[in-house]
Amino acid sequence: MSFRALIVDDNIALARVTQFALDRAGFETQVAKNGQEALELAEQTQFDIVVTDQQMPVMSGTELCRALRTLPNYAECPLLLLTAKGLELELPKLQEELGINGVFCKPFSPAAIVNEIKELLGVCV
Amino acid sequence: MKVCRPNLGLPRKVVSYYLLFCIIAICWLAVGVLVTTHTVLSSQTIGSCLSKLDKLSAAIELEYLRSGTEHLQPLLMRAKSEARLNFCGIVSNDGVYCSHTREELVGQTPLEHGGHYHQSEGVKGIRYRDSNGAQVCEYRWPLMVNHEPIGTLHIGVVEPEMWQTLAEVAPLAPLAILVPLALVGAGGYVISRMTSPLSEISKQLQQVAALAPGSAEEITDIKVCDAVSLGWNRLVALMKRLQKSPDNYTLEEKILEATEARRANQDRVILENITDGVAMTDVEGRITFANRAVAALLGEAATEGATITDLLAEIDENSKEWTAPSNEGHASVCELHRKGHLSERIIRISRQKVNGNQRSGQIWCLRDVTQQKLSEKMRDQFIDTATHELRTPLSNIKAYAETLITEDEINVEQQKEFCNIINSEVTRLARFVDDLLSISSMEMGSLSIDRQKVDTARMFSEVFDKVEPLMQQKRIAFVKELPEKLTEIKLDKDKIVAVLVNLLGNAAKYTPAGGRVTLRVKLDQNTLEFAVADTGVGIAAEELPKVFDKFFRSADSRVQEEVGTGLGLSLAQEVVEMHGGEISVESVLNQGSTFLVSIPLQGVA
Repeated sequence: MSFRALIVDDNIALARVTQFALDRAGFETQVAKNGQEALELAEQTQFDIVVTDQQMPVMSGTELCRALRTLPNYAECPLLLLTAKGLELELPKLQEELGINGVFCKPFSPAAIVNEIKELLGVCV
Repeated sequence: MKVCRPNLGLPRKVVSYYLLFCIIAICWLAVGVLVTTHTVLSSQTIGSCLSKLDKLSAAIELEYLRSGTEHLQPLLMRAKSEARLNFCGIVSNDGVYCSHTREELVGQTPLEHGGHYHQSEGVKGIRYRDSNGAQVCEYRWPLMVNHEPIGTLHIGVVEPEMWQTLAEVAPLAPLAILVPLALVGAGGYVISRMTSPLSEISKQLQQVAALAPGSAEEITDIKVCDAVSLGWNRLVALMKRLQKSPDNYTLEEKILEATEARRANQDRVILENITDGVAMTDVEGRITFANRAVAALLGEAATEGATITDLLAEIDENSKEWTAPSNEGHASVCELHRKGHLSERIIRISRQKVNGNQRSGQIWCLRDVTQQKLSEKMRDQFIDTATHELRTPLSNIKAYAETLITEDEINVEQQKEFCNIINSEVTRLARFVDDLLSISSMEMGSLSIDRQKVDTARMFSEVFDKVEPLMQQKRIAFVKELPEKLTEIKLDKDKIVAVLVNLLGNAAKYTPAGGRVTLRVKLDQNTLEFAVADTGVGIAAEELPKVFDKFFRSADSRVQEEVGTGLGLSLAQEVVEMHGGEISVESVLNQGSTFLVSIPLQGVA
């Protein structure tokens, strides 16, 4: 059984290229355009990993993470945050507060994200 | 300045009398002590010999029994020297001395002296002056053996004279007199020092009393050493000033006074008219001066006599901590947030002790930094937006390019799609860099316009294409009032299009759904005029002069909700002015705004 990944990004082009890389790595992926859509999808399907952009309309990436953590099945789910701002410096705080596992600063490499996800899920590279 | 202790308020004359009385009292005291000492000494002498009389008579009676009158002489001699008696003798029953300390009197009859006589408990006492002039007390004591009288014991005691007592206390006299005298003298010195301003004042008042009425020439300042002397000097100064009528001023003094008055007035005018608030408070924090700007910033209650800390606390509760006495001398600058009915103003306040003196008042400077703060916030927001705008296309380009490079077996269709995405992201990036460049040119004043022949109708349709989707999205009625005949004119088309798009875009952005935006255009040979009117949120009167400032954004929350850089209107003004035209705005809050643009077309090459 393959792992399921949820990609949340209002920048469809970027969501698609990330999805492309994860599909190639053997993941089952779905894309949500905003936090609201992501929460609805997360309630229907149990995802093994969620990758979300920070700056989005409706709900920011960290707000989505907070909302996800309140769902019973997502208390331990690995979360990755993509950001155009220097949030990597705040990673320790984000890790402590929301259990965010990693922050990627734009522009990022899709391959690096795939590797990080594989490591988090314990998949052999 | 010499400082003395507060005085008792006694003039020198009073002090002198007081000292005289003291000395007389001391002398009386000395005489009293002398008399008392003398009396005590006399009583002591007589008392001590009387107390020995008993013992002596017993010893004599014993000796008489043992050996008769033979050996009484040595006994009497011993008693005389022990009890310090003048003489001592025994008169036998036959009426003559059978024994006496003065041997020549043995066998003689005792002399009967005429003097004061008294008798008690068998003892007879006679007081008289002897041949040497000494005061002698003679006592006679009956001697009994086996209840038989054997004779009488006579003893004489010399009472000490007054001069003898004086001689005895004489060695102590210098100490006894000098010490009180020294104390009185010292007291007198201290009192005279304390009362010296009073005596000076008294002296001068006596002089004044002797002068013709209305003259104060003779009155002079005295040495300042306490509040009384200081008060006197002030009175003197006041009297001299009163005496000096304006007619008596010299020309120099008149000029000096006029100059000082003018300078003081000039300072006040400057202070009143500067845009920053300047206030001065006394030690208790009450306002002693406040210029007009203070009232504008802190409210009409900020007048002389009001307590500044109360005013500040009324505006912003948080100021209490800053104005607390414990914080004085630490943070000298504080920012207060003054809530208005629509907007909030930020006031920066600094304070400083007058001349750095702890016990003096403070000077307060107030500045409205709302606009500065907004500009800073806007600039930060702009940098934020710019970063986002640069990073988003960049991350797309990098992600797709990397995928194309690293992934194998991508079909041609996908490769083409990926390249298209990269291409459109590059275009987006280039456009944004262009925008940044024009902002930068504007900042540096190097923005230039390029007037070309423009088809007005086409220019407007280009504008409408850009703004109409926005109007439709918000269901805003877009009314276009264009002239029937649209001729060719010479303009920098792209830049004027940008101005129109910006004005119409703003109108759409700040007009609630269902509102109306009107574009009125007037065109003749000389001018192109257009007006953009909306039924939107409007602009507050105090913000109207600032709408064309770079990075300015209204503090109105309805404006803050929308995305914007605060550069559009500033850029529009720059473009219109470079065309030699004018841009202006009329607005009523909550009713709408109208932006008017007029661009001259005559005289253009």
